[in-house]
Amino acid sequence: MNKNLKRVLAVAIASGLALGTVGTTQASAKKKVRTVTLAFQGPLTGPDAQLGQDQLPGALFAIAEYNAKNPKRQVLLVKADSQCDGTVAANLAPGVANDKKIVGVIGTSCSGEARNSFPAYIAAGLPMVSPSATAVGLTDPKAADRGFPIFHRVLANDKFQAPALVKVGAKGVTSPKFYIVDDQTTYGAGLAEYAKPHAKKAGSIAGTESVPKGTADYSSVTSKIKASGANIVLYAGYTADAAKFFKSLRDGGYKGVIAAGDGVNTSDFPSLVGSAGEGVRLVAPDVPFDLLVSAEKLAAFTKTTGVKIPGLYVTSTYDAANVFLSCFDKKKYNRPGIQNCITNGTFDGVSGSKIKFDRYGDIIGGAPVGEFLVKDGVIGYIGIA
Amino acid sequence: MNFSVVTSQFASLVLQGVALGLIYSLIALGYTMVYGVLRLINFANSEVFMVGTFTVLFIQVTVLGHAVTREPMHGWPLILALALSLIAAMGVCALLAMLVEVVAYRRLRAKGANRLASLISAIGVSIFLSESWRIFTDSRPHAGPRLLEKWSFGEFHGANFRIDTMMAIFASLIIYMVLLRFVNGSRLGKAIRAVSMSEENSLLMGINLNRVVTLTFAIGGLTTGAAAFFYITIYENTVFNVGFNLGIAAFTAAILGGIGNLRGAFFGGLALGLTEQFASAIIGSQWKAVTVFIVLVFVLLIKPSGIFGEAVQQTRT
Amino acid sequence: MINIRDKGAEIWENWNRPTRVIFVLSTITIIALLPFAAAWGPTSFLDTPITSFKNVLVYPVGMFVLMALGLNIVVGKSGLLDLGYVAFFAIGAYSQAILSTSFGWSTWEALPVGIGLAMVSGVLLGLPALRLRGDYLAIITLGFGEIVRIVILNSRKVTGGPDGIAGIKNPPAIFGLEFDLFHPEHFFWLVGVMVLLVIWMVRRFTVRRPGRAWEAIRQDEDVASLMGVNTLVYKLWSFVIGAAVGGAGGVLYASKVMVISPDMFKFEVSVLILACVVFGGIGNIWGVVLGASLLAYIPDRIRFISDARQVIFGLVLIIMMNLRPDGLLPRKKREKISEKRKK
Repeated sequence: MNKNLKRVLAVAIASGLALGTVGTTQASAKKKVRTVTLAFQGPLTGPDAQLGQDQLPGALFAIAEYNAKNPKRQVLLVKADSQCDGTVAANLAPGVANDKKIVGVIGTSCSGEARNSFPAYIAAGLPMVSPSATAVGLTDPKAADRGFPIFHRVLANDKFQAPALVKVGAKGVTSPKFYIVDDQTTYGAGLAEYAKPHAKKAGSIAGTESVPKGTADYSSVTSKIKASGANIVLYAGYTADAAKFFKSLRDGGYKGVIAAGDGVNTSDFPSLVGSAGEGVRLVAPDVPFDLLVSAEKLAAFTKTTGVKIPGLYVTSTYDAANVFLSCFDKKKYNRPGIQNCITNGTFDGVSGSKIKFDRYGDIIGGAPVGEFLVKDGVIGYIGIA
Repeated sequence: MNFSVVTSQFASLVLQGVALGLIYSLIALGYTMVYGVLRLINFANSEVFMVGTFTVLFIQVTVLGHAVTREPMHGWPLILALALSLIAAMGVCALLAMLVEVVAYRRLRAKGANRLASLISAIGVSIFLSESWRIFTDSRPHAGPRLLEKWSFGEFHGANFRIDTMMAIFASLIIYMVLLRFVNGSRLGKAIRAVSMSEENSLLMGINLNRVVTLTFAIGGLTTGAAAFFYITIYENTVFNVGFNLGIAAFTAAILGGIGNLRGAFFGGLALGLTEQFASAIIGSQWKAVTVFIVLVFVLLIKPSGIFGEAVQQTRT
Repeated sequence: MINIRDKGAEIWENWNRPTRVIFVLSTITIIALLPFAAAWGPTSFLDTPITSFKNVLVYPVGMFVLMALGLNIVVGKSGLLDLGYVAFFAIGAYSQAILSTSFGWSTWEALPVGIGLAMVSGVLLGLPALRLRGDYLAIITLGFGEIVRIVILNSRKVTGGPDGIAGIKNPPAIFGLEFDLFHPEHFFWLVGVMVLLVIWMVRRFTVRRPGRAWEAIRQDEDVASLMGVNTLVYKLWSFVIGAAVGGAGGVLYASKVMVISPDMFKFEVSVLILACVVFGGIGNIWGVVLGASLLAYIPDRIRFISDARQVIFGLVLIIMMNLRPDGLLPRKKREKISEKRKK
């Protein structure tokens, strides 16, 4: 029985390996129609998978639109699942960079993985346009981990988001006293760090706290916040932890304002946080896709991707994909050509704004930061913060 | 350092620390039961807890149809719903723990294999469970519905005696008492203690070893399931890797109290919960884990086998 | 079940010297040519989808082999359960990162410092922890691993906090071999040389006094100390040597990936390396090498089933441990028998 089991296992593993090789080579099979390949790099599995799974439809829809218009030139998309993990990205990026068919990367989704991907992409001259990596350092001329010259992003970085967060939090509050909490991730700690000087200017800081991502019990932070007499809590972190934290705050009897950044602005936030989420103020450097496009376009989006309500960052992912696609329109199909096209070109954002990148990859003039409010269990768009 | 919080919120920190600590205790009992008999760390216990939390959600949301947005229940329906989800979580966890024993331990035990081999196969089970759950739930966190309205018995110096906290505290005390009586008083409990003293001698006395081992895994599953229920009632939130942090904390608690020892797991959990609360209040949440481990090192240096010593039975080397 | 390890040892003992030399040299050559296997027709099935095969050979495969060998000194040779081995890896990596970015030291200059710091921290941890037995040691080492990661995370000024450290330089060239992004195979050879060094070191130790002392401690600590073995000192030695290997691995890793952050040094890595040791065969160098190569390689090879690959990994661990509890290539029978008697 043992031997049989082993044989079965061996066959299963061998056939699995064979399938895998077939799967990877199939992409280049078609001949008549010329193809050009882009990669999407973001978390499709792992603890942060929702971020990538929300974004992917934006890229798929933009590519589907392009392919419908250009039957002779089809765009393919390689999904590079980085799990938002720097270690994975450090291995993934050389693989993507060595794949000569890939001419551009839509991504990365997270800031941390971007920094581990840069060395390989810079060396290979592979241009990137990120829909959601907002860490300031990525485009900071002085930072060692900047992505110059291949990195670009179509949304405002944390330097713009942080003041918006403070402003939205303090709206209508007399003598604001802030309590700033972050989750000790690259994103959360960075955003909190940039929010501090603005909070000091707008009022006073009653206290700060770093609670590691994945903590179960927020009651001691709640006690501290209550003891400090703060009337505005700013949270820089992601949805799952925000839901636990805000519940603990409201159940613990905190009555003041709660405001959070784009990490919390996900479609499942209201259902996770329940009644404790009522009145939570959110900001995000991303305006909801369904508010910007016509009803027909939204219907087409749902038809191609199967997604009814576009999630967070669909707009920016759609814009990021379109940056590459407009370069294809200009007959640029190789890495240097596209890099050149992105650096010098001006692109149309879906919101009607013009996208032009500065030398280090940020949008000139900055992108808008939207303000949102949770009301009756729905995240509603208020306007530009 | 922030000592003013301790003075103004002392009662509140103690209450929250006790509630959190008792949840740790219940999971720690899962580790300690197995360790007492097999001398093995059951690494899959954290995933048993995770499955327990999802069982509670399944009962409350899918079976009872209480969606997350609905108003809390009252009266008899509430008590029945809570009892049903508690029993279901305990049952599912007990069954799963027994299954873990069969898959990860039984064959290796029969072969008299190295104990590290069982450790790795238990880690395999743990990875398998949490990853298949991740796929099953699309990596998304899931919210628990608010069955129980969180009314308060009143406040005392800032400590909020909320119904969910009080329920968790009293119920875990009862579970602990029952377990203690069972292990010390009943025939099966005697068998468990006999096996943990000497496998060979208890075999000679006619004790069915496999049955006793299965039983200890089942008991560990029961307490872990209860912990999952109280966790959901208080925090109303779970995700596929929820067991990871709680599992390590509970394991630490079991060691702190003296692993293999029921009393140790219970008070170890309490001590850990209080240490965590005060450490995060005074030093800051980011140093919580460091403080806990430093306390652990000091305790072990003074008492090398935990506060209450290893096992009710004897210290083995 | 046949013990492949014993069979192999038997064949080896029957060979004369020239045959042995030829065998060793050809094995080394074949392994050195591995990075080109993906590009060569008959072996192209080895190629990993999406990720670059040559890079996968460096990290995780080569690195895991190196660290598993280091952990094997602790777990396999002297029987101490260490669940925080990643701490030494992190200490090595951060020493290299800080020395490279702040002081401009090259990898070769930072290597002894990284190894030294890892050894010192091994002593600091070992002195209190090694007085404890079995699972108490396991939890203390686990705690140490977490403490190192959290201290790195919280010391924003020195380590960059959650952002980590970027801009670490690649090692300078040796013998005209460039170490950069375009030549992952050079890194692979470098790791290979280090692996050979560690194997040589471990084999020397095993046949001498420390090896015998470890063996005695592993089989019965009380008897060993009665026979006059200073158990604490020898346990500390195995701990510190293991830490040194981990530190060296960290230094190399940092100069390979160029950007490091605390989330690369989580508890999961410790568990994975321990799994490599046990999976391959505790205490047996060749088993550990084989086990680490397989466990590091499989998740990247089966990337095409992306979602389920960790599930498969878990299954592989369960099934293999049940079929071969002593690992793929178990240690010598002689050692095993004495272990059974202990039970």
